[in-house]
Amino acid sequence: MTLEKFDLIYKDNRCKIKDKEKILSKLKAILGEENVSTKEIDLIAYSKDSTLITLIWRIQGKLAALPDFITWPENNDQIVQTLKLANEEKIPVIPYGEGSGVVGGAIPVYGGIIIDMKKFNKVLEINDKDLTVTVQTGINGMNLERYLNAKGYTCGHIPQSIYMSSVGGWIAHRAAGQFSTKYGKIEDIVLGLEVILPQGEIIELKTIIRAATGPQFDKLFIGGEGTLGIVTKATLKIWPSPEKRELISFAFPTIEDSLEAIRNILRNQIYPAVIRIYDASETVRHFPQVKEAKDKVMAVFVCEGNERLVNLEGIITREKCEDNNGVNCGEEPVEHWFETRFRVTETSLIPPYKIVIDTIEVSVMWEHAAELYHLVLDSVKKVKGILYITAHASHFYPNGVGFYFSFAGVATGGKSNFEFYQECWDVIMDGCVKAGGSIAHHHGIGINRARWMEKEWGKALRSLIDIKNLLDPNNILNPGKTYFPPEKGGAK
Amino acid sequence: MSIFEQLKKYKYIIPIITNADRDVKRIILKSFRLKKKFFYPQGEYKADVKNLINCMLCLKMCRFDCNSLQGAKTERVAPAYKSLIGYYLSVGKIDPSKEENKDFINLMYECCNCENCKIWCPFDFSVVSLLETVRDDINDKGLTPNYIKEQIEKLNKTHTIEDTNIFKTYEEKVIANVESDGNDDVFYYIGCETMKYPEVVKGNIEILKKAGIKFSTNLDKRWCCGAPLFNTRHLDLAKEYAKQNIDLITGSGAKLVVTDCPGCADTLLNRYEKIGFKSKVKVIHILQLFKQLIEENKLILKNQIPEEFKNVVYHDPCLMSRNLNVISEPREVLKKIPGLNLLEPICNEKYTHCCGYSGTLHWANNDLAVKISQNRVNELIETGANIIVTACPLCELGLEKGIEENNKKKIKIIDLTELIAKVI
Ligand SMILES: Cc1cc2nc3c(=O)[nH]c(=O)nc-3n(C[C@H](O)[C@H](O)[C@H](O)COP(=O)(O)OP(=O)(O)OC[C@H]3O[C@@H](n4cnc5c(N)ncnc54)[C@H](O)[C@@H]3O)c2cc1C
Ligand code: SF4
Ligand code: SF4
Repeated sequence: MTLEKFDLIYKDNRCKIKDKEKILSKLKAILGEENVSTKEIDLIAYSKDSTLITLIWRIQGKLAALPDFITWPENNDQIVQTLKLANEEKIPVIPYGEGSGVVGGAIPVYGGIIIDMKKFNKVLEINDKDLTVTVQTGINGMNLERYLNAKGYTCGHIPQSIYMSSVGGWIAHRAAGQFSTKYGKIEDIVLGLEVILPQGEIIELKTIIRAATGPQFDKLFIGGEGTLGIVTKATLKIWPSPEKRELISFAFPTIEDSLEAIRNILRNQIYPAVIRIYDASETVRHFPQVKEAKDKVMAVFVCEGNERLVNLEGIITREKCEDNNGVNCGEEPVEHWFETRFRVTETSLIPPYKIVIDTIEVSVMWEHAAELYHLVLDSVKKVKGILYITAHASHFYPNGVGFYFSFAGVATGGKSNFEFYQECWDVIMDGCVKAGGSIAHHHGIGINRARWMEKEWGKALRSLIDIKNLLDPNNILNPGKTYFPPEKGGAK
Repeated sequence: MSIFEQLKKYKYIIPIITNADRDVKRIILKSFRLKKKFFYPQGEYKADVKNLINCMLCLKMCRFDCNSLQGAKTERVAPAYKSLIGYYLSVGKIDPSKEENKDFINLMYECCNCENCKIWCPFDFSVVSLLETVRDDINDKGLTPNYIKEQIEKLNKTHTIEDTNIFKTYEEKVIANVESDGNDDVFYYIGCETMKYPEVVKGNIEILKKAGIKFSTNLDKRWCCGAPLFNTRHLDLAKEYAKQNIDLITGSGAKLVVTDCPGCADTLLNRYEKIGFKSKVKVIHILQLFKQLIEENKLILKNQIPEEFKNVVYHDPCLMSRNLNVISEPREVLKKIPGLNLLEPICNEKYTHCCGYSGTLHWANNDLAVKISQNRVNELIETGANIIVTACPLCELGLEKGIEENNKKKIKIIDLTELIAKVI
């Protein structure tokens, strides 16, 4: 067994499967021989997602966790039957999209059956009049966007991970794209869903524009993190490709100035599709070529859509930046951002030096925005071993903002990398809660934030867990995440 | 990214490290010093470990366009995962010599030569090139998979990857062989795979003759260009092929080589150079010549295209568009065909998708090659075309396997030469 040579990080409380051969043959009967695997080469492939701490484990030859079966269903019935079998046998089931999640959402912490959604990859319908596209949720984001572009549309949802994430993953983690200020987060884009509940019942949450038909049940599954159901179909908003794009950038003396400028832009109901600010440490990293921005806070804007509107948005955006001490840096920095926005190389270059890195995004209302930023930075700087902590903000609303922190450091004083990593996480979560923010803006809870859910939700968490128990009495769907951290639970 | 660009990009790190506290600095410097000891293989190896590491830790920006991943729909063949396994095989975390680890070795061959990954990669990697360095070590350890050995045996026996030397079948296929008198203008370098499509070879010969070009084919002396030897990493043997082919071409006196196979063109032009052989004669795809002949009125496309061949979609062969940069020429020729309606698929030109049959994939996992081919055929016929035209015999072979049963009567795959032949 080659697998025996790999250390497991999540090895406690794994589900005990008495007769693996029996389950395997049942799965094969449900899904067909070619859609099930227990080969080592497949188990290792699904032992991970893109959580950054797993990169250090990967080069050290450790596995985050180990699934027992991998499945690739091709239709709803196969998922229904798999879930029924999992309930009978009390085996965890982990939905898997493209594995780009960064909070451990798709990591099979207790083992079990991976349901890889990749074969659910069809565009079912584009409705030009309604401006909607209906897709199967395993479709890769870029393959969807590329298809839409070719037909003259955009979904407007362009996360940095668009090349390597799926619609199902977006919905599960309430993702946000780079153009979110205009087009919204995924929860603003989804109009209808088909979901298979943990016990195998298929429900359709029909496509509606607005309704007053009781609670918004669909919202339970947008952010459901693969714990409340498997989303198989979704209807999303689309838009005609924009007529014009205007690129604007400004450098500000302080983070406060930049936040004020943007708050005032949005207060005037001007919605540039992209708004991003980079604190001074990130500005040197991302825009070393922009002289006017040296030691400053860089802000980039993209206005897009109808030409006349874009012109007006451009005028007001510039005006508000100038009113708040912004210095116009022209189009080049935005072009530079467009060129480099998907070119991530740090995650390859840094882990071999045993340097721990990660990014953590949170959100906060305007009132406490600057306070949260400073509080988090100040407290992380005190963590022993920290190399840097920086931030940018890339999602803005008339009422608040999402911050995105990046840190790097090394474990000192006998701590393991993982302990150091968790310490950094805890300090950021703590700062965020203290400043009145919300602990996740768009990456989700998964494993990494589960131990902070009580602080975030308060008593309401109890009701959420009741709903989870009601829908998934055997706790088979993606256990060990979201509500409790892995060490607090275990497979039944 | 060039070293200069990298240095510029990471300049910001220097003050961060210099300002870090002593403990932190010490740990980082130690990791710098011991990186190789911790993470690189012991002893001799050829694998490009540094870049396998870069790729396996990458957040995989290329995956949406990877033909093997989009065909197989399983993480096993994802680009970064192939590099990860390449790395584990190289450092011995996975023991390549154990029978039970055959799947892992096999994975090193489950890549087509499409290099779609390279378009999107922030490091400009082509994963298949990284895997080739792992294949080197596999060969050196005597662990070459049987399906590769079989190909090498055939090459040793017949100088082609067929059971007999396919060039010598010209008589039964009624292909005219043109012997060289040592004084030719052009050498028509026919691909082994093109020999499976006699109509294409005949069409090309007819066009060359009509245009009054003095050329030879020398089929009695022909060998394969050696591309499979590069893919399977038998580079010493590849040198023999390079020498034989270059001598044959040089002996013909030709100043220009035209070939009907982008794989041959790429090998003669680019791959020979990498093993120290450079042909002094210019090499182009035959369509580049045809385009020129049309412009010079030496090739006249005068007849209306028959109705059933009207709705055409052009499939860019990967090697042709990305390695040879021949993109506009076939389109210009197609647009000159009277009555032809040229359609374009979503992924075309430099962004084309693979037919499934390039590289070693179809030997290692033929089912996957077929799936890749099916994906591509579906993209092509989504345009409404019933004729898929291409300029590569391997693509033709591959795409044929991807036509689903219910479409077999409706859809035809042909070489551009065959279309030209219909209108001259
Ligand atoms: C470099 C990089 C950049 C990123 N940029 C962004 C960004 O700009 N914005 C952003 O929001 N996120 C970003 N992310 C995070 C990540 O891409 C998102 O969380 C994404 O939505 C995950 O999608 P996935 O298909 O990869 O999901 P996976 O990682 O496969 O799974 C994530 C979770 O979704 C569940 N799941 C997957 N499919 C389904 C389904 N059909 N039904 C139910 N549950 C399902 C899984 O069980 C798991 O819990 C980034 C990640 C990386 C690595
Ligand atoms: S080929 Fe490039 S983009 Fe693709 S996984 Fe490897 S390093 Fe990443
Ligand atoms: S060479 Fe082609 S098949 Fe191989 S990893 Fe790159 S894109 Fe995928």
